Amino acid sequence: MEKFIEVCPYCGAGCKFNLLVENNKAVGVEPLNGVTNQGELCLKGYYGWDFLNDTKILTPRLRQPMLRHSRQEPFQAVSWDEAIVFTAGKLGELKQKYGPDSIMMTGSSRGAGNEANFVAQKFARAVIGTNNVDNCARICHCPSMVGMMATLGSGAMTNSVGEIEDTDCILCFGYNGADSHPIVARRIVKAKAKGAKIITCDPRHIETARISDLWLGLKNGSNMALVNAFANVLITEKLYNRDFVANYTEGFDAYWNIVKKYTPEYVEDITGLKASQIREAMHIYAGAKNATILWGMGVTQWGQGVDVVKGLAGLALLTGNVGHLNAGIGPVRGQNNVQGACDMGALPDFFPGYQSVKKPEVREKFAKAWNVPSLPDKVGLTLTDVPHAAIEGRLKAMYIFGEDPAQSEPDLDLVRKGFEALELIVVQDIFMTKTGMFADVILPATSWGEHDGVFTDTDRGFQRFYKALDAKGDVKHDWEIHSLIATALGYPMKYNNTEEIWNELISLCPSYKGATYERMAGLGYVQWPCPDVSHPGTKFLYTGNKFSTPSGKGLLLAAEWRAPAESVNDEFPLVLSTVREVGQYSARSVSGNCAALTALADEPGYVTINPADAQKLGVRDQALVWVASRRGKVIARASITGRTNKGAVYMTFQWWIGACNELTIHRVDPDSKTPEYKYAAVRIEPIADQVWAESYVKETYSKLKHNLAAAANSAPAAKPAPSKALEPA
Amino acid sequence: MNRFIAADSATCIGCRTCEIACVVAHEPSHDVETLTPTHFEPRLHLVRTFQVSTVATCHQCEDAPCLHACPTGAIFHSGDTVQVDQARCIGCKSCVIACPFGAMQVVTHAAQQVFAGVTIANGVKAEAHKCDLCADRAAGPACVEVCPTKALHIVDAALIEETRRRRQQHSALEPSGLSAVA
Repeated sequence: MEKFIEVCPYCGAGCKFNLLVENNKAVGVEPLNGVTNQGELCLKGYYGWDFLNDTKILTPRLRQPMLRHSRQEPFQAVSWDEAIVFTAGKLGELKQKYGPDSIMMTGSSRGAGNEANFVAQKFARAVIGTNNVDNCARICHCPSMVGMMATLGSGAMTNSVGEIEDTDCILCFGYNGADSHPIVARRIVKAKAKGAKIITCDPRHIETARISDLWLGLKNGSNMALVNAFANVLITEKLYNRDFVANYTEGFDAYWNIVKKYTPEYVEDITGLKASQIREAMHIYAGAKNATILWGMGVTQWGQGVDVVKGLAGLALLTGNVGHLNAGIGPVRGQNNVQGACDMGALPDFFPGYQSVKKPEVREKFAKAWNVPSLPDKVGLTLTDVPHAAIEGRLKAMYIFGEDPAQSEPDLDLVRKGFEALELIVVQDIFMTKTGMFADVILPATSWGEHDGVFTDTDRGFQRFYKALDAKGDVKHDWEIHSLIATALGYPMKYNNTEEIWNELISLCPSYKGATYERMAGLGYVQWPCPDVSHPGTKFLYTGNKFSTPSGKGLLLAAEWRAPAESVNDEFPLVLSTVREVGQYSARSVSGNCAALTALADEPGYVTINPADAQKLGVRDQALVWVASRRGKVIARASITGRTNKGAVYMTFQWWIGACNELTIHRVDPDSKTPEYKYAAVRIEPIADQVWAESYVKETYSKLKHNLAAAANSAPAAKPAPSKALEPA
Repeated sequence: MNRFIAADSATCIGCRTCEIACVVAHEPSHDVETLTPTHFEPRLHLVRTFQVSTVATCHQCEDAPCLHACPTGAIFHSGDTVQVDQARCIGCKSCVIACPFGAMQVVTHAAQQVFAGVTIANGVKAEAHKCDLCADRAAGPACVEVCPTKALHIVDAALIEETRRRRQQHSALEPSGLSAVA
């Protein structure tokens, strides 16, 4: 048996473990003493690796390049040469006819790795000539990046995961650590054991709320009002750090001008909270020696996400809770490499290392390094721009790599319409997915476990992961595929290994320069910024309270509260908010192929309902129900729980049959373009014939699996039969 | 005194890693790929109420109701645990009804018989299914090992004593709010 050091391919906690391999088959996992996980793992780390053995539980591995000349036809297996020539040919044609900006590329936030993302954005910029490249941070923590860049200068967690257990107060706002990052939740639990005060702001009584000193069960959609009220209390009750504000921040007067209206009493109606609770929260937060704010999708997946992030940063700036150990603000990044995809510049407005496409000197530097006369200066499209851009004819092609937008984007009907409008869809992935079913070309890639690379976890830590298995079938590494297509398009690109790519990256990014492969080897952990090889990496940002804004000061920025886009009414009386569950992950093409994880949780997924609402509707626990919105209708299994607040229902976005994104609304934050997944108006329809309903789920699921498998295993094009010459008798 | 597994609700995060560990530990091949939604029977169960997240599992009772209920004498004391001799279990479910914790479960597997060299189906074999404290596992209870927040504890006589002593101290030091006994 052999052991290979890995970084977990699921969430952003960056857990390290050994993958155990026998005869080129994954057989187990044992935890390692990584910096963030300290020898612990969750069920996904322990039992979420058997997908590597092509279990075919949900969908089979893609093992051969495939293409089709029309989406009404089945796929045909082809050679790599054919696939490359076809793809390059089509991309070249479209670029010629409609211009480089008619093509959209993606990065990948999961197993592909930093090097593959670097190559993907280089492909978009140097080969196609567009900044149309984005990754699924767009539908996740982009508001955090935008809001924190505006207020502090950098968009990442200011402190490290380990510091969470040593802080004196955790303000947990719209963040469900137990379901999103068990290993981060572990730190919250340890902090509590060490005497830290915990405040949770969440409409549901989530795990962290159970152990909190104060739970603010605010109404869905009232974030900005509550955050403004917090600021109001800090200022009116003189709880804020006047010295810190005077010396290290700007904008106090304009900030106060907006938040002065938001007294706790003023926001009682909007938030559904008592003024005394709001005051108490700030007494605890401001009274702590060191306090940390953690947030997740409960803050970002709103039409008003950026403003709330700025507001939370404001609370930390007002109280001086940033710039030193054990105090800071933490947008906890979801997926194992979503931080990395952003670090690598798979973003429409940034090159790798957060260097802006708008700066001429930056474009010149990269153009020189990449041997092109110039690079595009127009900020590109985001993932959420794609459906409308396609429907309006501005976008003609999309090259999707390691993402499943037909599952993860809001308003899936709109997404499908967008796909239908595109002339070319290239899907590069490891499993056949619903997105793959829209493709013209399928390019099969190696999976995590089958290649080397680097991930960046949620607290800016670069860690290496190693190839443990030889990939089966006719697959290639992601960065190799991009390189071959680039070469076929006339831009010679060739790398021999991931280290070569990494060295090119760090030579171009001052804040990554000291993070060499050597330093990251084994259990190495280098947190950027790391400007040179002798620099130890950066545990927490803004030492000495020096921020990376143009003025060097933190900016206090406030905004008025805006209501969510949709309204509930008699027809759709409940709020749907999409959330996570701990045992399946994201778009589920990986975790859905794991036996243990699927044994624990499978289609159609749950919709959680408050007992009072369930009783009114006549819905029993575990019954199948229809959930309908203005955009669609899906079946889900009712889970009646007092942890869910009245007037709201929650579904997780993992499920393909119970796909909640058929119901969500495509309304985005104006600055970050992140969708409002947390508020869609729905109704629950009980189903009288439960026998029929269970049958329906089984049949629909079977059919979906069958179609995906048939597509993945498409045969080569039939060769014409050789004509038989007449043989002499 | 028998020892048993209990969860500390203050540290449990409801992740169910323990449930999977239990199933894998009891699967003869320990092969995670053998698990299916219908072949998944953990011997401890996550229970969530509004305020509590914890596990419900066998308390290895000193005076076990399941043992008394069993008509075939399949349930017996073994060291500091309560075990089931599955060969004797007839699946009558008396133990399931007797257990106040809902910890006992009867599971059935297809049974086979070899007759004249041919393997044939032979009805079902029932098993009274409960936590056996991983008696056959060298490293001990699998659930305790994998819990990421270390919320699961093997509660033995020593731990009980320590807990009681700590609480006795606390109650002596903390003002109890009760008026003095006359």
